[in-house]
Amino acid sequence: MKVLLVDDSGTMRTIQKRCLQKLNVEDVIEAEDGVQALMLFEAGQFDVVLSDWNMPNMDGLTLLKEIRQRNKTIPVIMITTEAERARVVLAIQAGVSDYLVKPFTPDGLKEKLERWVASPA
Amino acid sequence: MDFLPRDCFLSYVSIGHREPASQLINTKPFIGNLIVMTTTLASSSLTAEYVNPVIFATKNVFEMMLDCTPTRKGLRLKTENSQTHEISAVIGISGNAAGTVVVSLSKAAACEVLKRMVGIEADDITNDVCDAVGELTNMIAGQAKAQLAKYELSISIPNVVSGMNHVVHFPSNVQPMVLEFDSEIGPLTIEVAFSAIS
Repeated sequence: MKVLLVDDSGTMRTIQKRCLQKLNVEDVIEAEDGVQALMLFEAGQFDVVLSDWNMPNMDGLTLLKEIRQRNKTIPVIMITTEAERARVVLAIQAGVSDYLVKPFTPDGLKEKLERWVASPA
Repeated sequence: MDFLPRDCFLSYVSIGHREPASQLINTKPFIGNLIVMTTTLASSSLTAEYVNPVIFATKNVFEMMLDCTPTRKGLRLKTENSQTHEISAVIGISGNAAGTVVVSLSKAAACEVLKRMVGIEADDITNDVCDAVGELTNMIAGQAKAQLAKYELSISIPNVVSGMNHVVHFPSNVQPMVLEFDSEIGPLTIEVAFSAIS
């Protein structure tokens, strides 16, 4: 299981990475924005993409659209403060696989990630 | 897409059930002053409308991300130039209303934010501390924005400013409100300024 983790906040990447580690997912590649993420996505094989929405250079929605032009099936999960229904609909129209609104509890994050990554120990 | 109704529903139900906006505005004594004060503002209804979502979002984000419940100390118009605390995260809001949200914390409180979010100890305002405070502010602004959906708002990437007596400048056509909170990790203030776009 190889995860591409995209968030401009190092704090949020650390929180998500630790949660993934608890789910026995160690192969996590980090990106700070959509541009960096897209370069990494094109260069490697990933099983899941976790992405923030609001980021500099390229936002998560644009990244999602770019990924869907290249890969229709890879799970892409948005983890974002964008909670309005209209925003979620935009993400769905762009092909998002799942959606988690920040802030979240540790259990809320774990439950969401468990659905998409390797089974916990 | 079974997650859409559930996640959206939970998001809005938690906002409505934990502390409805009507309770926020009716049960706290200082809110009465808010109504008087806002008569001096260009749009008092807009002011009351955005203050409660920010109060709710602050409590919710602190409880979920920091495991502490901030208590409100007061609400007033901002008159001073410089910030009371040493670190401020600033987020711009645009759309059918324009605004700014500033979350200010003491250095000790900001270090505690980092510790509670990711377990990293710091005794000074490092890049990690700034990032944690910026993300906390992002969540507060994002959750408040979700309760003001009719304005179709967008939020900027947070900017973090630090230093004693640093100054955050607001647009001259808005009167910022200062929400003061106490919490286990120390006092904090949230300054909000909104203006409707006609």
